[in-house]
Amino acid sequence: MNSLDKQIEKRPKNLNLLSVKFPMSAVMSVGHRAAGILLFLLLPYLLYLLQLSLNNETDFLLVKEQLQSPMAKFFSLIIIWSLVHHFLAGIRYFLLDIDVGIEKHLAQKTAVFVMAGSFIIVILFALFFFQ
Amino acid sequence: MSFQAKGLQAWLLQRITGAFMALYILYVSGVMFTTEQMTYQVWYAWLAHPLMNTASGLFFLQLAIHAWVGMRDIVLDYIANDGLRLLTLIAISFFLVTCSLALLRILFSLSWSI
Repeated sequence: MNSLDKQIEKRPKNLNLLSVKFPMSAVMSVGHRAAGILLFLLLPYLLYLLQLSLNNETDFLLVKEQLQSPMAKFFSLIIIWSLVHHFLAGIRYFLLDIDVGIEKHLAQKTAVFVMAGSFIIVILFALFFFQ
Repeated sequence: MSFQAKGLQAWLLQRITGAFMALYILYVSGVMFTTEQMTYQVWYAWLAHPLMNTASGLFFLQLAIHAWVGMRDIVLDYIANDGLRLLTLIAISFFLVTCSLALLRILFSLSWSI
């Protein structure tokens, strides 16, 4: 580290996140990143479920039965939410890359769409699959 | 400055893999929502079919590339120490390659003669 970096290190920092007002796009962005990490970490487990479900009929029914439990349903919703949120936020970023929706008011609106859309789709998923 | 445009490569790979994965996900979601009863036979036959089998393999390879770019961004954002960076990037790439091999093994183990 050179002397300039050291000088910068000494400046006061406000690390109290509760004192900062976060726009919706910031919340959505953090959700996008967290969802990505969660899905990344879950890959081995999901692969294990896939393998089990294809092994033989008994294991398939076992997986199906295990997924009916309330705990499993709850975690499935979290996983589905991660995927949907990451998906929709990804589309928003894709559009931003080609300069669609980069105006401030539009960007704030699309961030809300992503969060609301994810929520709605997860509800639909729960209603459809978890009766 | 990099004349290999590595940053551009990563950005492009992430977007392209994202787009293709989106199509696959929409297709799979469509099937999930329209299949009345998912039995073991239906499930196995669907995944063992050459087209679906290949598409699923492709999907996962794209996922590995997409996840690699994403996780590399995270490492670059939050880990400043060079040695630690190298270590985590090695761990992440090892993890992704292993998962890809596992998935390909699962897909290849399905025979189409049911």
